[in-house]
Amino acid sequence: MTADRFVRSTRKYGAIALVSARRALAERSVLAGRALFLGVIVFIFSRVWETVLGQGPQAIPGAGKRELIWYLAVTEWCLLSVPHLFLAIEADVRSGDIACRLVRPVSYLGTQIAEALGETGLRLLVLGPTGAAVAFWMAGGFPEDPRGLLLALPLGALASVLAVLSTAAIGLSAFWIVDTSPVYWIWQKLVFVLGGLLLPLELYPDWLRTLARCSPFPAMLWGPGRMAFGFAPEAALVTLLELLAWGVGIGVGLAWLSRSARARLTVSGG
Amino acid sequence: MSRLAGTLRFARALVAMNLRSSLALRGAFWLQASFMALNNAAFFSVWWLLFERFPEIGGWRLLDVLTLFGVVASGYGASIVLAGGVRDLGRAIHDGELDSCLVQPKPVLLHRLASHTIASGWGDMASGAVMLGLAGALEPASLAATGLAVASSACVFTASGVLLQSLSFWIDGMETFARQISEFTLVFSTYPRPLFSGGVSVLLYTVVPAGFVGFLPAELVRAPSLALAAAALAASLGWTLLAIFVFERGLVRYASGNRIGARS
Repeated sequence: MTADRFVRSTRKYGAIALVSARRALAERSVLAGRALFLGVIVFIFSRVWETVLGQGPQAIPGAGKRELIWYLAVTEWCLLSVPHLFLAIEADVRSGDIACRLVRPVSYLGTQIAEALGETGLRLLVLGPTGAAVAFWMAGGFPEDPRGLLLALPLGALASVLAVLSTAAIGLSAFWIVDTSPVYWIWQKLVFVLGGLLLPLELYPDWLRTLARCSPFPAMLWGPGRMAFGFAPEAALVTLLELLAWGVGIGVGLAWLSRSARARLTVSGG
Repeated sequence: MSRLAGTLRFARALVAMNLRSSLALRGAFWLQASFMALNNAAFFSVWWLLFERFPEIGGWRLLDVLTLFGVVASGYGASIVLAGGVRDLGRAIHDGELDSCLVQPKPVLLHRLASHTIASGWGDMASGAVMLGLAGALEPASLAATGLAVASSACVFTASGVLLQSLSFWIDGMETFARQISEFTLVFSTYPRPLFSGGVSVLLYTVVPAGFVGFLPAELVRAPSLALAAAALAASLGWTLLAIFVFERGLVRYASGNRIGARS
């Protein structure tokens, strides 16, 4: 790909992402609902940690009540910012619209991912300050070493991109099974448990933590979330490399799935 | 009396028809039900992990949370299986879709609620029953208290949904708000009661009735007593009557959608 073509491509998909972000901004009730949900979850778990720990000992080294509340705010921020891209792809496959969309001079999958990323970007911008405000209020301040939160910002954004790519892969499974919800439910539960959405992996038994670390899920949630426990550039770098490695892996898988889906559509008809 | 018997027969026929329609798509039914059970198990695993590290949270142990989860999952499951129409009631009011129920000689609310069912509710009920069984709440001695607790939870959850969705008779765009409150009711009702105090506690027994959907029925199962049984009965009856009253008042204001369509 020449540099010129790359710039044109970036502009094209950037414009699609921007339009999608504007559309998402217009759906204020959905955004408000997500923000409210984030606030409620952070509130409930702040009560859990308050009851369990009080002003007493740290749950794990370097993490007391305050850090654990911020951990949750970060992990929920990453996850709630991701739209349900798989439903859009499934709808196109179900209705047959996919056949019309494939002949356009833009990649179908690229367009879908660009739209989802635009929406994700907007949600990250809205839910970030919301989560931070609620966490600050509930925790009574920033974590002991708040510099780690600065590292959580790019990691969280990258983790959301990985989640978008994963949901795109789930959406493409519609070419084979049509109803993608069960696949999404499995993925969601794996993220929930193995990713450490509510509890950091340090609280897990050894066998479960080892199992989780073999999957991409901890990089998506636990990696950015643990930045709330303190300033740890080395750990951030490890998470960044994991996110990039899994991103490449999922990207390759996505390209293969996309090709297979096209072939299937050509054989079976739109 | 014969009118009541007729209404009950009608309700039973609707439930039987819903069950048949759910089972007609056998694969989808089992998939949805089993994944919902898996979903509940995954969510509960977080509590298991937490209690492994901290054996007590505000005086509650893992078995107490298991009982709470069992009651709420069973109650919620029963609600969406038997009265699945509650989810879309606000939209139906807004879009003028009650016309087909109005021309039938049976209660409009019952007709609308019981005409829809959600298959994943069977998964909720199954996982709830397993949890209650593991918590020892299905022993013959506690079966009556557990049954009342689940029925009360289902009643209040359905009634609060009807009440909020019925506000669509007066205010536009209430569907999203009503769904959000129902979601919060479910979320709050699966956390131990001692976590909440003060103003939040008041909220959990009024606007977001998690107290009546989870805490009170679970307490009835944990420590059965006549006072708790009476409270659960009173809560179910109170919320149900209030929901019917608000719906009926709203129905007077209902304007037809004048739409031509087939009933699904």
